[in-house]
Amino acid sequence: MTLVSEDTFEAEGLSLGPIESGTSILLTGDDGDALASVFYRLVAPDADGDERAVVLATEESGRTVRRSLDRTKRGSGDRAAVLACTGTGDGGDVRVVDDLGDLTRLGMDLSSMVAEAQGQSARFRTGMLLCSSVCAAAADMRSVYRLLNSTFLPELRRGDGIGVCALDTSADVGTNARSVVAGMNTSFSAHVEVERTGRREATLTVSGLGDDRTTTVSL
Amino acid sequence: MSRNVLCVDRSERIGGVVDAVEAEDGLTAVRAPSVEAARERLESESIVCVVTAYDLPDGTGMDVVGAIRETASQTPCVLFTDVAPSDIDTASFEEVIVEYLNRDLPDAADRLGFVANDVIDHSAQVGFLAPDDEGERLEALAAYDVAELPIEESFDRLTDLIASHFDAGVAFIGLIERDEENVLSCHGAEMGSITREDTICTHSMLEEDVMVVENIHEDKRFSGNDLLVNLGIVSYAGANMTTDDGHVIGQVCLIDFEERRYSEAERHELQQFAETAMEILDLRQAVRAERPLEVAR
Repeated sequence: MTLVSEDTFEAEGLSLGPIESGTSILLTGDDGDALASVFYRLVAPDADGDERAVVLATEESGRTVRRSLDRTKRGSGDRAAVLACTGTGDGGDVRVVDDLGDLTRLGMDLSSMVAEAQGQSARFRTGMLLCSSVCAAAADMRSVYRLLNSTFLPELRRGDGIGVCALDTSADVGTNARSVVAGMNTSFSAHVEVERTGRREATLTVSGLGDDRTTTVSL
Repeated sequence: MSRNVLCVDRSERIGGVVDAVEAEDGLTAVRAPSVEAARERLESESIVCVVTAYDLPDGTGMDVVGAIRETASQTPCVLFTDVAPSDIDTASFEEVIVEYLNRDLPDAADRLGFVANDVIDHSAQVGFLAPDDEGERLEALAAYDVAELPIEESFDRLTDLIASHFDAGVAFIGLIERDEENVLSCHGAEMGSITREDTICTHSMLEEDVMVVENIHEDKRFSGNDLLVNLGIVSYAGANMTTDDGHVIGQVCLIDFEERRYSEAERHELQQFAETAMEILDLRQAVRAERPLEVAR
């Protein structure tokens, strides 16, 4: 059982320790599966802490996202609202965005869903899987930064939550991915770099979450 | 100082929006009951934030947002509406980001004032990422009384030297302020202040090392930037001017009108020039700080 503090969030199986409310985490790596595995552990809401989650999923359906959350933490799927770019919506907590490049609509949907989640519980986790897909779909990177500034980062300073933005560094984002990561790294409060080191193992290089460190996790 | 918030809504509903905005200390509501009226206010008033409904007599709130993005791209906008996102026509505004606030929420009015203040305080819809230490960085920058320092001639000589050394079309020194880059000296072009999200330097300052863009047309961060493209800029290299406390306050940059690479040695040299610019700034500031003491003696 996880001891839940009111001011911190836990990520099971990652040995990251308590994560302070308000933390924005940039999650990067070049292995999509390893990245997703770590992402779900960071974003899965804790029922004991009465948490909710809002996930933007660019590659997976809402149903798949909820199943992945449930596998990570039992019952967490039902506590998550998903804005998905594939699959079908359920008229409730799973909504579908038709065009990932329509960042205007995407931003509105996300703002709306986060506000609804906060109406159900003060504690929340938000996640974007994958931000690199949003970068690739956008015509102008300034719009992606505007999206992050207006819908992702503000909720973390205004409310009681953490946010995780996953970026696949192997994706073609139409710009220098290393430079984008370096830039985002200074803007986010923490960086977790995922490197797959075995079939079911990865190394996390962690900064901004207490002492900088490298840790090995099973996938 | 009061901050003007443009409130756009139908005449019969605008009162509630104005009341919610003015319930916050320091915010003054400027009324506009239509898209056309909003356009007029944007031209005649200094507006720091826009709060608009979606359904308006002569258009939609997205028309208002589109209007302000044309003239003041960094001004934050809040779409305060009971229309669901799925019913909002975004076809002509695919990358016009606003903050959506549902007017049907029980605490919508309270939220509106809070959100308006927050988006103003944090420049919340700018098209660039600010460093985590932005507040301290701006304080560090403000400590340099640049307008009063006799640095112009020194920096002009330095940018002449830098352009000559690298055989570059343009060399400039700029300080990166909250909303814009203030170019202090420039060899090879006329540059004053540039909106921050339109500059390459706001990206370069986030990197520890010299940032090089060999061809901006091949980089999505800049290829859609009309200002850069219209100036004919193709390549860029920028090095950080960093205070003793580690805050990046400015950049020393090279621009060329053709694709260009920079060797490791050249990048190192550009960084040295940036450190020299920082030393000049520090020395001038130190001399200025000493002067009142000398007079007192």
